[in-house]
Amino acid sequence: MKNKKTMFISILLAFLLILAFSSPSMAGETYKIGFSGAITGTTSDVGVPYSKAIEDYCRYVNDDKLLGDDKLECLIRDDGYETEKTKRNFEDFMDEGIVFYLNYSTGSSLAMGKDFDEEKIPTITASYHAGNLAVSNYAFLPIVSYTSQAIALAEYLVANHKGDTAQVAMFIHPSAFGRAPVEDLQKAIAGGLKMDIVEVVEHGKDLDNTAMLQRWMNKKVQYVICQTVQPPVATMLKSAQGLGVIAGTYGEAGKLTFLGLHYAGGPDLVALAGSAAEGFFWTTSYKLMTEGGAGTDAQHALAKRYGRDEATANSQNYTNGVQVIQIAVETMIRAKAKGKKITRQALYEEMLAMNGYNAYYPLTTVGPVTYSKTDRQGVDMLQLYRCQNGVFRPVGLPFAFTAK
Amino acid sequence: MSYFLQLVASGIVVGSIYALSGLGFVLIYKSSRVLNIAHGQIIAAGAFITYALTVWGGIPIYISFLMSLIITFFLAMSVERVFLRRLIGEPIISVIMVTIGLMSILDGLIYMTPFGAENFSFPEFLPKTPISLGGVSISWTQLVGVIITVILIVGFTWFFKRSTLGISMRAVSDDQMASMSIGISIPKVFGLAWATAGFSAAAAGGIIGNITGLNFDTLRAFGIIVFPVVILGGLDSVFGAVVAGIIMGLIQQFAAGYLDGNWGLSGTADLLPYIILLIILLFKPHGLFGIHEIERV
Repeated sequence: MKNKKTMFISILLAFLLILAFSSPSMAGETYKIGFSGAITGTTSDVGVPYSKAIEDYCRYVNDDKLLGDDKLECLIRDDGYETEKTKRNFEDFMDEGIVFYLNYSTGSSLAMGKDFDEEKIPTITASYHAGNLAVSNYAFLPIVSYTSQAIALAEYLVANHKGDTAQVAMFIHPSAFGRAPVEDLQKAIAGGLKMDIVEVVEHGKDLDNTAMLQRWMNKKVQYVICQTVQPPVATMLKSAQGLGVIAGTYGEAGKLTFLGLHYAGGPDLVALAGSAAEGFFWTTSYKLMTEGGAGTDAQHALAKRYGRDEATANSQNYTNGVQVIQIAVETMIRAKAKGKKITRQALYEEMLAMNGYNAYYPLTTVGPVTYSKTDRQGVDMLQLYRCQNGVFRPVGLPFAFTAK
Repeated sequence: MSYFLQLVASGIVVGSIYALSGLGFVLIYKSSRVLNIAHGQIIAAGAFITYALTVWGGIPIYISFLMSLIITFFLAMSVERVFLRRLIGEPIISVIMVTIGLMSILDGLIYMTPFGAENFSFPEFLPKTPISLGGVSISWTQLVGVIITVILIVGFTWFFKRSTLGISMRAVSDDQMASMSIGISIPKVFGLAWATAGFSAAAAGGIIGNITGLNFDTLRAFGIIVFPVVILGGLDSVFGAVVAGIIMGLIQQFAAGYLDGNWGLSGTADLLPYIILLIILLFKPHGLFGIHEIERV
């Protein structure tokens, strides 16, 4: 009797052990995505909502079982906008076995391009520098490059300019990020774009830009294209407002019309510059929360669901973060649907196949995400916005643009 | 001519704000010979407190600005009491290392608030139309900033020259042992030095925040940007900070106005102040108005 009881308990324990060890495979696999970005330090005002979006969407994927029984684990780390920390994070992520990587800054994307290739890991960068694509075959931009944005803005500028050749100054970040579109824009001008770049100014941590603005006025500059982050643009606009030189209408003679690329404008610029942002022209591929619609409503619901405040829910950087992880998750869904094992290579192949009928519509952008072997810039559509009464409003319809 | 005058006006505006921002360094160094590396974080904290009281607390900006000065006064005094008082008598390098640690702590605390991740601006309470006089334009924001700066600098100068407490602080700066022998409380003087530095930093934060908008990275950078100003003026001279601030402001504006964009030059407005600082320090190693101490053995 005693032997029977012992045998029964042993069998039961063995069964429980087998069940315990086999349960993970029954519950599905876990796929890991890594994100390293500036959650503190320079540009953390961008990096924080961006990382929150990744965290929230990751939870949403698991809570709503977008990957079925499989789980998504998002490894999010701060690099303080320092490339050596980014590299360390990336190496740790690789040790953890990530299958998709989300990078942040231009500097680290350029510096780590070879690492992406060596590890053969699909990577989406928050930097839209076309140079990222030149240093790595595995790097992807979520939207069109800074170069494309700058040339699109310049073409709009020229098309709507009245009078002689448009005189333009560029106000750029003192980094690879800021300089990214300058050379290509100059090439476009050499190729016939009817405008002159009078000056390219790499800004510092200025408290006042009066001298620079006065100098531009003396040189008959009418337009300023900004390729930097919002705080220096806000300071410049406030100085321009103090001098009374902001154009009331587009291209107003004797005044300055300000235009900016993705990271130079948007709601964050209004938050910093207030009324000095009025009339600012801005281009991006993202929809704005102020516009409403299916994608923006979903973004708002996502942020609310995971307890984010209104500022985060409405942040354009939250939109950017949602979009990049949406793309990563979409590649997983597609690979699974084809019965593929989720590996870096499988996801890379899905990225390259994301075009034509297989284009991806994340609803948070003004056009579909398309990638191929020859095009690793995601959304090829741009929307021009203008700040009116403290809100950026669309000017015209989205237009397709990718500078080659 | 109006171009020149515009650059002069802008240079004085920027310079006086530099002077106010640098004052916190001077006040602490003057009494304790310590460089507060966390000064930029205190500038940012002052600006954020003003914003929080104004926008979230619904208090008129004039009152919230004054309240932020008082709050930061006590905050800085508490910092000295908690972190630095027990280091009296320890090597200066230990105290400086503590201020580096303090910088990280303040960074961390601010990152835990919305100010670490979002951008804000003060409600616009001044007329948007600039004041124009003889072809020179200046915004109301800048003008008010300069007026506040002048009032505070005059106040601090009077405080150090005439008040008993100010004279005590100078005495401690000159000779701690001799000061103690006549009954001056060194810990109290150090606490007051930190408190007044916090007061001036909050004022600078409010003014800078009104000009640039409230971005943590931008605001805390002013703790470093004004460093050449206080070195040039002499680390222990309020008057030196004022003169050096205005010199730096003018150099920047003239460089941006006359050099940048010409002869292929760019960025001289950021570089030239440092070149001039180096040249001046070659001839006056203690800055323009710094005290040259002679030690007799």
